[in-house]
This record gives sequence, structure tokens and C-alpha cells, in this order.
Amino acid sequence: MKVWQRNAVLTVAMLAFGAARMPFEAGLAKELRASGLTPPPMEVATRDKIGQTSSAVALGGLRTLVATFLNLRAFTFFEEKRWDDVADTYDTIVDLAPRTRYYWEAGYSHSAYNAASYYINDSTLPSLRRREAWRAAIYRGRAFLERGIRNNPDDWSLLANLGFLLSDSNKFMAFRDPGKSFTEAADAYKRSANTGNALGYVRRAEFYSLARVRGKEAEALALARSLYTEQRNHVPTLMMLRLVLESHENPALDTTQRAIEIFGTPEKAYEALTGHWQRTREHFPVYGVAAALEALEKLLSVPADKSIFKQPLQSPAGPDDWFTK
Amino acid sequence: MSSMTAKVSRGSHLSRILVIARHTFTQLVRMKVFYFLGVFAVIAIASNFFDLPQHEGPESVGLNVLRSIKSWSLGTMTLFSVVLSIVATALLLPKDVEDRTLYTILAKPVPRIDYLAGKLIGVLLLVFVSLALMDVLMTAVLQIRSTMVLSQQLAMAQAQGWPQEAINSLREETAANGPTWSLQGAVFAVFLRASIMASLALLISTFSTSTLFTTIISFLIYFIGHFQADARDVYLQAGEAGQGAFVRMASLLMSLVLPDFQNFNVIDAVIEGQTMPLLILGKLGLIGLYYALFFTAASWVVFAKKEF
Repeated sequence: MKVWQRNAVLTVAMLAFGAARMPFEAGLAKELRASGLTPPPMEVATRDKIGQTSSAVALGGLRTLVATFLNLRAFTFFEEKRWDDVADTYDTIVDLAPRTRYYWEAGYSHSAYNAASYYINDSTLPSLRRREAWRAAIYRGRAFLERGIRNNPDDWSLLANLGFLLSDSNKFMAFRDPGKSFTEAADAYKRSANTGNALGYVRRAEFYSLARVRGKEAEALALARSLYTEQRNHVPTLMMLRLVLESHENPALDTTQRAIEIFGTPEKAYEALTGHWQRTREHFPVYGVAAALEALEKLLSVPADKSIFKQPLQSPAGPDDWFTK
Repeated sequence: MSSMTAKVSRGSHLSRILVIARHTFTQLVRMKVFYFLGVFAVIAIASNFFDLPQHEGPESVGLNVLRSIKSWSLGTMTLFSVVLSIVATALLLPKDVEDRTLYTILAKPVPRIDYLAGKLIGVLLLVFVSLALMDVLMTAVLQIRSTMVLSQQLAMAQAQGWPQEAINSLREETAANGPTWSLQGAVFAVFLRASIMASLALLISTFSTSTLFTTIISFLIYFIGHFQADARDVYLQAGEAGQGAFVRMASLLMSLVLPDFQNFNVIDAVIEGQTMPLLILGKLGLIGLYYALFFTAASWVVFAKKEF
């Protein structure tokens, strides 16, 4: 066989070999993509951001290794309080490793918590700009977390984090409508619990969010009753909110007697009710609490000057206090 | 003894291949490639210290370190295995020509396919042994660290009075990030990718004129191989996207000629804690075998009539 003939045979064999394997490889690629075992192709923008060398390394099958390096870089940016760089780096990191919960939670946390808190105290900006920067950081963190949830819809922890952010007493004011925020928080917690992998507190957290939504009291009470059937859910906040919602359901209810029944003694009931009365930051409902406290103060002969109603209530700190100067 | 010598000298294909493979393995070991294991040990241990602040709940404490150990270790294994398989294979033929070993071997009744297969198996044996040793080291580090992480998490769970089902779920999640069968599968996938590269480098070295040329072309194909699936998608979806005939032909040609390495990126998913089904590993094994056999056969076609 002459050289050109041999080369021709080799070329034809190469093409035939390629044609034979192509359907199998294409099918496997589809199967791997569908089962989430291979990430989507790297975006051109990501390739630009990580530079030529890292891009080559990432394309060489080392995406998670490049993500690990970038995570170290993001930590340096965090230490230097370069918040935009931190957020940009995490955008790139999650393109490289979209299934790693840690990166989504770290990226969201840096924006919604670290950057937002930094802007509360940043003395270099006027108050109006600080307020907007604070709000923008929280929105950015939320958007990042929601992108993480779209990429990992079965991850209970990402959903629980969204619920936490939307019902956090230091954050929900950023979302303008607290009622809507609590509804969305309850929904996020519910989806988290429905994954079947969530920890026990998630269902309680769903209830705490739902209890704060006006118009959803009946739904919240039904959830509280179902949670209360388990001993591990007999925690003070749940017991108190159940009492408050029962009072809303039945305004004629003797809240004082019910409180004593739930907490054991008038003293314990009074202690629990005063604690709830003073928890103003969380926006929990207080149906029937004032009347029960008045009745218990009479029953326990609390001196007038020691009355809970004489104690100054904590003003719920929020953007109006943080950004006055 | 004499019958044994006669058996080897008359020899079957397999025995000749094994003799050449063993010789190749010894030849490469003498090049001190195992020194790299020292570097790997340092990397595996150092990856334990990238314990950045925790943003997840207390139940996830330490999981990031486990991911870091896997990411660094498998990354290093990939780099090492690909570099070794390309460079070692690219060196073999020119070195045998330079040492005149090739003339001695080919002067004997040794079919050239046996020589090529023996050389390839020698390289693959070295890559396999190296990866196995690195795997043992990685698994040991990961086992120790995941035991520490788990005991820390269990102490936290017990202090908070978690119910047993929650503790079991926590144990499962941590175990998924520790040394698993999927992780061993990922190491095997690293070996398969290196095997394809070694057989491809063997093919290139049969018509290449220098080691440097073989090495550079092999590395280029390695990187382009990670785009091959994109080219295939362009070809398969060209009708929908309205691509021109030239683009379609170019993408088809690229898909047919180059190997597809994107499927081997399942390694990343395993690092992220996902499970790799055995069936997927089996399919990857088939692909690896298919490439290795074809490239070796193609190398033989070129090498069979080559004059030295």
C-alpha cells in the first residue's frame, strides 16, 4: 500500500470511527446534562472574567479547582471590603460550580449581610446613598440566592436561607412591603420543608413567617396545631403565637385562662406574655395579649409602677434610625 | 526453565506485549516520576487548611474543607495524569530510536503492533499506579477529615437535641462529601481521560518528527477536545439555528475527528457531592476503551511500514 493510499484509508477510518461514536457520545452528554452530572457550558462572559489561563484550566476539566481558587480571591476582596468585586467573583464562581451550595450561600451572605451591614456604618457616604447601597446589597443577595435556588431546586438549605432573609427583622424593611415579604418567606420555608431533607426548625420557621401575614391567621393557626402534635415543637415562640392566633380566631376566648393552661402557672404565663409584648422588632401579632397582661397583673398584684405597660417599649430599629445622620 | 525461556522467546502476542510493557514501566519509573507523589502529599495536606469562614448553618460546618480536599486532589491528579500520559508517550518512540533499542526490538520477530501496545500499556500502567497511590493518599486524608467533621457535627446536633432522623440526614450529607464509591469512580474517569490522551499521543508520535511536536499537538487536542461537544451541538442543531453549510461541515469535521472530553467532566459533579451511577462509569469506560483501541490500531497502520 502506498503512503497516500494508507493515509486515505486512515482518514476514512477516522471519520467512520467518529460517525460511529457520535450518537453514543451525544446521547451520553444529554443524559449527563439532564441528570445534572455535567454543568452547562461555560458562558463567554465567565471565560472573559477568569482570564485566559484560568479559562484554559477550567476548560481542561478543572472547573471546580478554578472555583476554589476564585473563592480564595473572593475572601481577599471581602477582607478589603471590595463588595462589587466580591459579588462579581461569586457570579463567576457559581458559573463554574453551580451545584455547590457553599458558594451560593457565601455569595448571598456577603451581599445581603456583610455588604449591607457595612453600608449602615459607612461614614464616607451621605445617608441617602448609604440607605440605597444597603437596600441594593440586600436585593443583590436575594437575587443571587434565588438564582441558586433555580439551579438547585431541591436544596433545602438555599430555600431556608431565602426564608430567613425575607423574615429577618434586620432585613425585611428593605423589601418595602413586610406582609408580602413574610408571605414569600413562609413559601420559601414551606418549599424547603417539602424537599424532605430540611431540619426540624424549618417548618416552625414557616409558621413564624405565616403568623405575621395579615389575613393568613387561620392558615397559620392550622399549621401551629399540626406542629404542636409533636413534642419537639413545644417551644415558647410557637406556644405563644398559637395562643395569640387562637385569640384572633375567637375574640371571646379567655386569653388569660388559656395562657395559664398553656404555660402552667400565672407567673409563667405573665413572663411569657411580657416577653412577647416586648418583641416589637419581629412584627409578631399581639391579639388578646394586652387584655391578658392586664388581667394577670391584677391576679398577681403587680405594682402599678412595675406594670409592663409602664416599661418603655423597644423602638424597632430600622433604616429610619440607621440612616438619619 | 528452558521450556519457559522457549515459551517466552517463541512467545504469544500477550507475553511479548507484557514484556515490553514491563520494560516501559521500569524505564519510566527510572525517570523518577514518582517524586511527584511527594508534591501531591503536600497539596492533599495543604488543602485541609483552606477553611474559610462559614456562611452556612452549623449543620454544614467543615463540608467546604472536604470539598476543597477533593477539588485540589482530583485537579492535581488530572493535571499529573494528562501531562504524564502525553509527555511519557511522546518520549517513548524518539528515545527508543535514540538509544537504538527500537532497532534491536524490531530486528527480532516482534510484530510492530505488539511493540506499540506494549509501550502504551507500560505508560498506562505507570499512570494507573500513580493515580492509585494518589487515590489512597486522598482517601486517607478525606477519611480522617470527614471523621473529624462528622464528630464535630454530631456533638453540635446532640447538644441541640436533634431527633434521630435529622442526625441520620446530617450523617448522610457529610458521608456524601467524604470518601465515596463515586469518588473512586471519578478517579477512574481521570484515568480513562489520561488513557485516551496517551493513545492519541502514541498515534501522533508515529508520524511526528519530534517529541516537542507530539507534546504540543496532544495538549492542543486535549483542550480542543473540551469544545468538541459544542461543535457537535452546532452540527446537530444547525438546521434549527439556520447555520450555513460551511459552519455545519466544519463542526461535523471537528466532531468526527476530535475526542469528546466534556463527558468526563462528571468529575466536577462528584467533587460537588453528587453520586455517579455505575452505568455512567461503565459508559465512560466503553468510550475510553473504544478510543484507546482505535488510536492504537491507527498508530499501527502508520507504524507498520515506517522505515528507520
